[in-house]
Amino acid sequence: MTATDKPKIGIYGFTGCAGDQLLIIHTEDEILNLFGAANIQSFVMASSNPIEENLDVAFIEGSISTKEEIEHLHELRKRAKILVAMGNCAVNGGPQAMYTGDGGYEKRLKKVYGEGVKFMTDPLEAKPIDAYVDVDYYLPGCPISQPQTFALISRLIHGAIPEPYPHPVCHECKLNENRCLLLDETFCIGPLTLGGCGSACPNHDVSCVGCWGPNEDGNFGQHIKLLESFGIPKEEIMRRIRGFGGSKIIKFIEDGGK
Amino acid sequence: MPSKKKITIEPLARVEGHGGIKVEITDNKISNVEVRILEGPRLFEELVVGKTPQEDLNIVPRICAICNLSHKYAALRGLEKAVGVSVDSTTKLFRELMHHGEMIESHSLHIYFLALPDFLGYDNAVAMADKYGDTVTKALQLKKFGNKIMRMMGGRMIHGENPIIGGFGKLPTKEALTEIKGEALELLEFAIATINLLGGLEIPDHMERETQFLCCKPPGEEYGYYGDILITSDGEEHPVENYKNVIKERVVSHSFAKRGQYNGKPFTVGALARVLLNGKRLKGKAKEAYDQLVTDRWYRNPLFNNHAQAIEQVYSLEGIIETVNQLLASEDAEIAQPTQESGIGTGVVEAPRGTLIHHYEVKDGKITAADFITPTAMFLDDIEAFIRTGGEQLLAKNQLDNIELQFEMIARAYDPCISCSAHIVEVVFK
Repeated sequence: MTATDKPKIGIYGFTGCAGDQLLIIHTEDEILNLFGAANIQSFVMASSNPIEENLDVAFIEGSISTKEEIEHLHELRKRAKILVAMGNCAVNGGPQAMYTGDGGYEKRLKKVYGEGVKFMTDPLEAKPIDAYVDVDYYLPGCPISQPQTFALISRLIHGAIPEPYPHPVCHECKLNENRCLLLDETFCIGPLTLGGCGSACPNHDVSCVGCWGPNEDGNFGQHIKLLESFGIPKEEIMRRIRGFGGSKIIKFIEDGGK
Repeated sequence: MPSKKKITIEPLARVEGHGGIKVEITDNKISNVEVRILEGPRLFEELVVGKTPQEDLNIVPRICAICNLSHKYAALRGLEKAVGVSVDSTTKLFRELMHHGEMIESHSLHIYFLALPDFLGYDNAVAMADKYGDTVTKALQLKKFGNKIMRMMGGRMIHGENPIIGGFGKLPTKEALTEIKGEALELLEFAIATINLLGGLEIPDHMERETQFLCCKPPGEEYGYYGDILITSDGEEHPVENYKNVIKERVVSHSFAKRGQYNGKPFTVGALARVLLNGKRLKGKAKEAYDQLVTDRWYRNPLFNNHAQAIEQVYSLEGIIETVNQLLASEDAEIAQPTQESGIGTGVVEAPRGTLIHHYEVKDGKITAADFITPTAMFLDDIEAFIRTGGEQLLAKNQLDNIELQFEMIARAYDPCISCSAHIVEVVFK
């Protein structure tokens, strides 16, 4: 294959910690192969002189948090055949979206920046990218997982259809034969959280904090009741459930509360 | 008519996060330099208010992926002071091991993958592989080793939750520690070879100017990456609790930014500051590297930050070997518990790119106020000052070829972390 007929890929970062792009850079065993198998046109965290043309696949990390980012996102959507939301901030809005929609954004912004300033690009309350454009695939994670990422990239660059992974953290935690933290009445939201992390935190005897965002099949109502029965105040449970699900998780909490 | 020219470099490549540089030239003189932060604000200091210390620890490392464990560590140091937690010596050693891992991960990423392509004339490190295959392969090994320690101690390569208030969820086995020590010994040779590689590079001098340096003073007589005292290149020492009087925030008309200055002037933080202020404390091969590389030019030239990071790679590999030896002879660690529900604490560590401050006020088990000052917030002014001096020198000598690259190299040398400084958005006053 020559460089011209290889699939054209762009990797972009909006507002976030850059952990998903970093994870790709940190795939020491795969990064050279990736640059060999695909034509990486734009990946500014790793390389200078990006080529901004039409793309086969655009991977987008980060939430949309400024007006300029909306414009850039629309422009990427126009020239990408396939657009992938990469990582929790792009999929759900990330931790910066934990209060999105509560009406307190302006107040928080003023508290950090003070009064009477005009920004060069208007700051916006953090939202996931599907608040503004159609997304073809979601690659969740905080950060994304290497096996899932390379399975997705391989399928997309070879024209195969990626498979969904609709399993909660608990599924992986059981496979890892961990003792369930809930048996010891310890706070854990593995049942409500999308898996793929390999139950990274319960493997270390620490609770799942929900960083991959909501698992659609999670029984939110029953799990909140279970945590309450441990003596954890409802206010604290709700606060902790909302850490990484942005405003998308509200729907699940409300449905579960019925 | 004055002649006016504008150089805009956007996006600034091979740095973490989304930024740019704008330089304006009027009548062959630099009239304006702006290092621009183009990411949206995330308001982390407000997000953690009302939360418990443990919840804070889950959230704040998300400020930055590259130095996520430095954020965790600074938060731990601040929060543990606030709620009266005193960890045992074994836990302290494990935290040092964790921090060494992050230094190697971050420094190796920066030296070989973000900075070195400039010096060798490539767009990226992968393109270097044809001619410098051995260096790229070994650099990947070194980075992987740093990541392995971060995974082992952090619980995951990026954003693990294993470090908790008072200790760790789970600790590595003696076998795993012994394996780490063996790998550190093997990699030391490459880290030393890197000292020779960087020592042979020609370093441009157009930007050279005097600046100030700031970093933590490690406890005892050792080199290290944390402390409760800030030291500055004027010889002063400041308790970290006074950080607000040391690092003054500055607001200018073209750019509203929580930018730090010391004594009303820009300053440098990071490996260069640490090596220049604490380098006399280095031992072993790291001391030999220090003696081999450090010259008077280091005080005036930020490009030597790359070299200082290379010295710290050697120091951290030797540090891992020594720390593992101590851990193998240590008693088991216990998880220490809070002794109070309310208090104030300032935690400071050296993140790979410089001094990182997390300050907390906790009342009845919940955070009521938080303040984070990141290294990138501290050194943006210094980058601008060096770009200005460099630009003036290059204009005076009419060396305008590749002037953008010269500016980018200055910015990249600091290893800026734009995610960390995302509450520094360029703004214009009405």
